[in-house]
Amino acid sequence: MIELLVVLIVVAPVVAGVAAWFGDARLAQRLALAGLGPSIVAGTVLAVLVFANGPAHAFDGLVAVDAFGAYVLVLVLVVAGIVLAGSPGHLAHEQRSGALRADDPGRYYALLLWFAGGLAAVPLVDSLGLVWVAIEATTIVSALLVGFTRTPQAIEAAWKYLILGSIGIGFALLGTLLIYASSVGVLGETSDALAWTRLIGIAPRLDPAYVRLAFIFALAGYGTKAGLAPFHTWLPDAHSQAPSPISALLSGAALAVSLYALTRFHLVAVGALGPAYSSTLLVAFGLLSLAVALPFIVAQGDLKRLLAYSSIEHLGLATLALGFGGQLALLGFTLHLASHGLAKATAFLSAGRLVAERGSRRIGRLTGSLARSPADGLALVVAALVLAGLPPSGIFAAELAILFGGVSRGWGFAAAAAAVILALAVAGLLFHVMRVAVGPAGAKRKRDVEPAAGEPGDGETHAGRAGGSLGRALLLTVPLTVVVAAGLWTPSPVRAALDQVVLILGGGGG
Amino acid sequence: MTVDARSATELVDACAAVIVVLGVLLVTVRSIGRSIWMVALQSALVGLAAVAVGLATGSVHLIAGGLLAMAVKGVVVPLVLGSILRRSSVHHERHPLLPSRVSLVAAVAIVFAATAAADGVSPAASFAARRALPAAISLVLMGLLIVMTRRKALSLVVGLLVFENGIALAAFSLTYAMPFVVELGVLFDALLAVVVAWVYARRMLDVFGSLSTDELRSLRG
Repeated sequence: MIELLVVLIVVAPVVAGVAAWFGDARLAQRLALAGLGPSIVAGTVLAVLVFANGPAHAFDGLVAVDAFGAYVLVLVLVVAGIVLAGSPGHLAHEQRSGALRADDPGRYYALLLWFAGGLAAVPLVDSLGLVWVAIEATTIVSALLVGFTRTPQAIEAAWKYLILGSIGIGFALLGTLLIYASSVGVLGETSDALAWTRLIGIAPRLDPAYVRLAFIFALAGYGTKAGLAPFHTWLPDAHSQAPSPISALLSGAALAVSLYALTRFHLVAVGALGPAYSSTLLVAFGLLSLAVALPFIVAQGDLKRLLAYSSIEHLGLATLALGFGGQLALLGFTLHLASHGLAKATAFLSAGRLVAERGSRRIGRLTGSLARSPADGLALVVAALVLAGLPPSGIFAAELAILFGGVSRGWGFAAAAAAVILALAVAGLLFHVMRVAVGPAGAKRKRDVEPAAGEPGDGETHAGRAGGSLGRALLLTVPLTVVVAAGLWTPSPVRAALDQVVLILGGGGG
Repeated sequence: MTVDARSATELVDACAAVIVVLGVLLVTVRSIGRSIWMVALQSALVGLAAVAVGLATGSVHLIAGGLLAMAVKGVVVPLVLGSILRRSSVHHERHPLLPSRVSLVAAVAIVFAATAAADGVSPAASFAARRALPAAISLVLMGLLIVMTRRKALSLVVGLLVFENGIALAAFSLTYAMPFVVELGVLFDALLAVVVAWVYARRMLDVFGSLSTDELRSLRG
């Protein structure tokens, strides 16, 4: 049963991707749905099983899913689903503006499917080595997506992403190696010496010198992939140059997956060294990321880079929360991970549509978007309000929990500094997004889009115009509604699931 | 075929020495073509060292992993990189950020520092291969040095390969090797990365007309 679900989650998208590579736009789109649809359903079923019955194991110890893994898995798959739904419209627009070659849509869907399959594999595998392999594979596949448009800037962004990403993740491999070297001393040379389910149990017996070094390398490596300062320099380039649905997947899911990997190392380090060592490092790098992102948010002139720097800020906050520890901050961390993923994915999809319509990413050229494209303009505004942490939303509740949790754990100074930075970032983010939404619409435009042909049904070749616009509206509103609702009310099964995740993050289960 | 522990150790020592010398040469060499085959030779020697330790310890997966690494990184990767080089008009690293003589001094300093650092690691088990640890640390640092000081896209890929060789050497000098699935995955990812680098190098040639990363300076802020 579990085996079948795992195959559906990972293998189905990857196989469908191989077929999509050779298909035309229409066939590839259907294959993508056929690959990712079952994957999303199977992932949800697996998560429900894990939350109801406890951790699931399959394939002779190769696969192990606990509540934290299940949570990240569902987040990845939901964001991938949103991205897939937003892709036909994006590609159709690109097609009309002549930026696509004939076989590009097939390639796009193939890479998207492999990217999603790789991301979904990470929280499933019970081996820090295979976690590394899957994350590195997603780096390489997504590098092809970042440079998909073949413009000079996109090639530059993709090249930097590839080189910096490979170096960064090389350090994560060194970290993995050092953990293995320390656990081989305890377990002997068995294939499960890298299994995090085993490592948590034997953590107190691991050689502390190795674990300390391993955590530093893992922090640098997965920190690079999660966009933590000072390893973040590739992120604004890659997230702004990628096709917008891909930006949504990179910001909404790929960052969370990297943080997942870092969290597993953190849990082993806490078991081996006590909480002080890795927590302090996480708090330090979290604060640094918040501080580094702030000036670039305030002084930003490019809408997609604005959202990218906001991702650095939010991942910094999540890292900070992980470092704080304690039930309250970890509950905040858990809630934040999903809320940010959904809100940021929506923000990138709506911003991407505005950018595509105007032919520019400059904030000064996007002004007055609310009047011109009400649906996408409004979605961007709401997403920005949510991302800024205004109540009521899951992010607001998470930020409160994280800051109060930090204070209660004796991190008063760090929490206060974070609160100040967050408040300033709110002002920066909202100022720019409000300019885009309601600023004077007289700014220069590169390309005029006829209002009648522009907005509704902007894409899907097979769907009717009205159906397309309804789908678009649902795509933009449902995730945001969930995030807003999460700040008001959590149904008791969801609350129970969150508590299970918090228990694992607190080192209490596994 | 079996190899006794002593001759395996000697072979690993010899490989490690040549690997480090190649690393120093790679830091200083200006010809991109030469650096490609030098890094290929270096990768092959890393694989050979793994095979030697595998034969001495009877570890089948170490032998298989070593042979596979020799084939992929010693043969396939240089062929891929060579095919880009033939399309490019630039075959030399003309203006690296550090002059060759300074790089040479830096490389030698790295070797000394790595040897000193590796002395500090107390052997938990007596692996013959542990003697390769100074070479591994040197390679990681030299790879970083190459990536930081070179400006041609292919030189950066060569630096990345030196860095990876260092990690591969560290892998089996610390632990013999990671589980075989992981080893396979790592190798597969390395190959994939080189293929994607090949794709982008071709696009750079199409769009910029050169492989110089000096062109890649438009994204700021």
